[in-house]
Amino acid sequence: MKKVLLTLFPLVTILLMIWGYYQAIYVAPDDALQGYIFRIIYYHVPSFATAFTFFTISFIGSIGYLTFRRSRPDWAQRADAWALAGAEVGVVFCSVGLTTGPLWGRRAWGIWWTWDARLTTTLVLWLIYVSYLLLRRFAAGPQMQTLAAVLGIFGALDVPIVYMANRWWRTQHPAPVFGGGPDAGMKDPTMVHALLWNMLSWFCWGFLVLFLRYHVERRHQQYAALEAEEALASVN
Amino acid sequence: MDQANILDHQFVTAAYTVTWVIQLGYLAWLAFKWRSEKRNAERKARQPR
Repeated sequence: MKKVLLTLFPLVTILLMIWGYYQAIYVAPDDALQGYIFRIIYYHVPSFATAFTFFTISFIGSIGYLTFRRSRPDWAQRADAWALAGAEVGVVFCSVGLTTGPLWGRRAWGIWWTWDARLTTTLVLWLIYVSYLLLRRFAAGPQMQTLAAVLGIFGALDVPIVYMANRWWRTQHPAPVFGGGPDAGMKDPTMVHALLWNMLSWFCWGFLVLFLRYHVERRHQQYAALEAEEALASVN
Repeated sequence: MDQANILDHQFVTAAYTVTWVIQLGYLAWLAFKWRSEKRNAERKARQPR
């Protein structure tokens, strides 16, 4: 069953990616105001939605690690692996969003970047998680996982701020596509479908990569534990 | 196609290309890391205790 799922899931994901691309480029019409450039949104919005989901997973993993690190070390290690996987894959998706956004903005607004609340809080979020990854890469010692978990929790607090930024403050960034009020969002159902298909396909792709990253980290943890055991045995 | 349409087309192509370069680049790095962890585990298994 597991083997079938492992083969089927990547296959379905690839098919969804192709379908999503087809919907975005060939099926959805040009936007009435922005024209062809609006098609960037079909990759930009799902990238951020996936990034925010994975930062939330990292947040839950960090809390899990801090909760179980003394009572159930194995659970804590699993939680830590989820926290790292969520943060790393989240940074990848956030990087995609931060690259595609300026490409859209250059044509829609005439500028690559502006320091408005939505963009600035997103950049801060990205920087927090990049520093989280740097901490994990370069810090050593038993406190590293604890420090990373604390940073992961504080980093995730920026996610709701980013999400609400263009509701709380007057920003240049457009109103939210979903839940942004009666005047916001897409009016054409074909455009909504294209966005939803791309949302689904990027979520599937994201979870595929997330599981892979989790398993790589678990392998690394098992190897590190063996190394530590051997080092201890050689001392005794 | 006028100049603005051509530019729009180029920007959309650039955005989609960048997306795939980042995603596939990360996937390749992950595959490389996976292989290196696998090799470590195999080396450890071969070592006499």
